[in-house]
Amino acid sequence: MSKKKYFVKRKKTCKFTAEGIEYIDYKDLDLIRQYVPVSGKILPRRVSGTNPIYQRKLTRAIKRARLMALLPFLGD
Amino acid sequence: MPLYELGVILNPTLSDEERNAFLGELKELLTKEGAAIVKEDVWGKRTLAYTIKHVREGFYVFWQYEGPGTAVKPLEYRLKLSDQVLRFLNLNLDREMQRARKMEKVRAEHKAAKREKREQRAGAAAAAAPAEEA
Repeated sequence: MSKKKYFVKRKKTCKFTAEGIEYIDYKDLDLIRQYVPVSGKILPRRVSGTNPIYQRKLTRAIKRARLMALLPFLGD
Repeated sequence: MPLYELGVILNPTLSDEERNAFLGELKELLTKEGAAIVKEDVWGKRTLAYTIKHVREGFYVFWQYEGPGTAVKPLEYRLKLSDQVLRFLNLNLDREMQRARKMEKVRAEHKAAKREKREQRAGAAAAAAPAEEA
């Protein structure tokens, strides 16, 4: 007798599309940190569910924040 | 005239007078080039995410200024030469917003095209339905 494990898929949504954020500011750390885990890497679209257009903008913002030493290039 | 955003990280060991003198000098340079500061945002001392030039802290200043493109070069030149500046980033905010709007336009066009296709299909289906009945 095998017990089947059920996995409930969560619906991923793009925050930027939902809230209509046009420009992602690199200084908005509260927003950007949601997409940067402790490792300091940029969270992939696969995980966060961000739309491609916004993922590119987000990436740009994160890289700028790194330049200005607001985020680490290398995390813990 | 485009809107620019300048972010500067200054050495935290500077005294208030030294810092104000330097920022005043920058402002003077901007006004001389025909630019005007629209918004000033001083974050103050903050721990850096990593060390720059063996310094762990930085004094953050952000300015938004409106001015001709010719002001950018002398400003960045001055910032590059200064040893009080750890890092700076100068962005053309207008260009950033333009990019955002361009995307918006492309997306709206896509949506309109899709809707048109759907309506066409619906229209064709409606035309085909009575023919089947007969």
